[in-house]
Amino acid sequence: MKRWFSLISFALILTLVLAGCGGKSANETSGSGGKEVVAWAWNINVPVLKKAAAEYQKENPGFKLKVVDMGREDVYSKLTTGLQAGGKGLPDIVLVEDDRFQGYLDAFPKAFLNLSKKGFDKQEDKFPEFKKALLSKDGDMYGFPFDAGPTGVFYRTDYFEKAGVDPNSIKTWDDYIAAGKKIKEKVGVDLLGLDFNNDDGLFRMALTQQGTFYFNNKGKLNLTSKEAKKAMELNKKLKEAGIVKNTVGWDASISALAEGKVASSPSGAWLSGSITQQAPDLKGKWGVFLLPSFEEGGNRASNLGGSNYVISATSQKADEAYKFMEYFSTTDKVQEEAMKGGLFPSLNTVYSSKLFTAQDEYFNNQTIWKTFADEMKDIKPVNFTGNYSVANSEAVKAVSEVTNGKGVTDSLEAAQKRLENRIQK
Amino acid sequence: MKTNKSLPYLFIAPALLLFALFTIYPIFSSFVLSFQSMEGGKYVFTGLSNYTRLLGDDIFWKALGNTGIILIVQVPVMILLALVLANALNSQLLRLKGFFRVSFFLPAVTSLVAYSILFSIILQDEGIMNTILGFFGIDAIQWLGDPFWAKVSIIVAMTWRWTGYNMVIFLAALQSLSHEVYEAADLDGANRIQKFFHVTVPQLKPVILFATILSTIGTLQLFDEPFNLTKGGPADSTMTLGLYIYQNGFKYFDFGYASAIAYVVVLLVGILTFFQFKFTGDKS
Repeated sequence: MKRWFSLISFALILTLVLAGCGGKSANETSGSGGKEVVAWAWNINVPVLKKAAAEYQKENPGFKLKVVDMGREDVYSKLTTGLQAGGKGLPDIVLVEDDRFQGYLDAFPKAFLNLSKKGFDKQEDKFPEFKKALLSKDGDMYGFPFDAGPTGVFYRTDYFEKAGVDPNSIKTWDDYIAAGKKIKEKVGVDLLGLDFNNDDGLFRMALTQQGTFYFNNKGKLNLTSKEAKKAMELNKKLKEAGIVKNTVGWDASISALAEGKVASSPSGAWLSGSITQQAPDLKGKWGVFLLPSFEEGGNRASNLGGSNYVISATSQKADEAYKFMEYFSTTDKVQEEAMKGGLFPSLNTVYSSKLFTAQDEYFNNQTIWKTFADEMKDIKPVNFTGNYSVANSEAVKAVSEVTNGKGVTDSLEAAQKRLENRIQK
Repeated sequence: MKTNKSLPYLFIAPALLLFALFTIYPIFSSFVLSFQSMEGGKYVFTGLSNYTRLLGDDIFWKALGNTGIILIVQVPVMILLALVLANALNSQLLRLKGFFRVSFFLPAVTSLVAYSILFSIILQDEGIMNTILGFFGIDAIQWLGDPFWAKVSIIVAMTWRWTGYNMVIFLAALQSLSHEVYEAADLDGANRIQKFFHVTVPQLKPVILFATILSTIGTLQLFDEPFNLTKGGPADSTMTLGLYIYQNGFKYFDFGYASAIAYVVVLLVGILTFFQFKFTGDKS
């Protein structure tokens, strides 16, 4: 009797344990084996995907899309883990940002569906050169270009007016700094907020503007180039002018904008979404002008941020996923929806739509979207390479050192040296 | 009966199975991984290359140094603080003992991320901490932006979180101490401080050793505070081994190298524990 009781209890426990494991694995395989196409995306991308799927279903009744809404960092962690496990537990479609993608492609060359082989090349002309470059390897494209971050300086029209600064007169970064000093004197607020110790966004924007990056277009480390020195010098000059507010982290930087503690912010077009949401009462008090250049008449177009969709090579629904994503990427209606949600599309056929030519009430009736759309074709392609993350960590360090007093050349040369060591492996 | 002898093993089998799957297997597999590198999307054996690379890696040494500094400052401060608190809360004169005990222990059960975010808000340039300092005429400190103060912030945050935990361990030990020794000390005319250092501390020695080892291991694996508060910055001044392992794996896709660093941590924990036992352990 006792023995039977024990055996039964044991069987029960074992069933429980196995049931637990079983549930998990069933959930995981639903990614590629289930009936629906699964996508991982974050934040404001989710509603855009869902609406597009609903629209797509009208002509493709059998199609079903399940969008899993996860934090951005969680998507990367899970994607990395899945790829590490040889493509297990991955969805069919994943959202990946511009700067990260080459890193994934480099470490996991066979992990993503080759879109050129599926015939995506015929759509090529609809996207800007720089997007195609960052999604390609050996001439083939591996991702669907989605949103972009054409840059501009978002500025407070009222502060500029009060200080007597005409935004149209700001043509070079030196003009911008001079304006900042004037604003600090007359209005008493800092020109911009930066997180010198943890972020190098301004450095990256200034590099892209000059058509280069941590690496040159051949993929060679380029931190000691004259472009890099200029970009780093800009950080130093801003800091030394005493017109930068130290904003640690994203929340602090947004609240500085919303609470009127800074007069401007050089950033990607996507910042408009955050400003309008966080500071609705500042309607009519914001405007945008293009990034100042390093020399008068120099290039003022740059890019910061942006993302793309990729399809897992192990997906059992690759064909379905490809067809949907092709529709998603190249349909004006879908991209207009993205635009309304605060994501600036890289599909150029959509720029003639009313959304892009109209005045924006929030932004002092400026046609900021036309400004950004016109800027897109001037953005120079840069080489992120597979070593972006490592190079980024060293660049952040260099910005931190320089703004804490170290010499520009010394700091960049040291960073380049450290990177050479870290990359050769 | 034969079955009765094997039955206990059947009962622990599920737990053992899970333990093998999620603890033993990763331990071995990461050991193997530490001798491998990724080439073209595949892992290949590269001998000791990950370990030799460590020797020339400035960030690794910096992380080791940071961990060392945090260890040397934070663990003794926290242990002493926990001892003093435990002693105070054990006092017969204190009212609301339960309330104080719970309050001090609470940080240990709060979510790591939640408390880190709270600290990052408190330590902002215009945060509460600097506002309070301002009342006393002290200039604002860049708690997270200055290499020195960033380390101090990490140490303060860790101390806040773990002091209560160690205090509870000490409290439990204090309650098992025999009363007679204290009576004898009273008769000999020992004051409170003398009793603390000459009666309480020597008797708690094994427990203090235990708490110190636990804290040492915890500090060597330090990850959450720098990850959430400083991301290892400014300029690696709060980079720790735990954070560097994570970055190598999940940011640079170099799990082989990450595993090698992890095994160095294992080695360090082993050595430190050995010395702690040797020098502070019971001679008997």
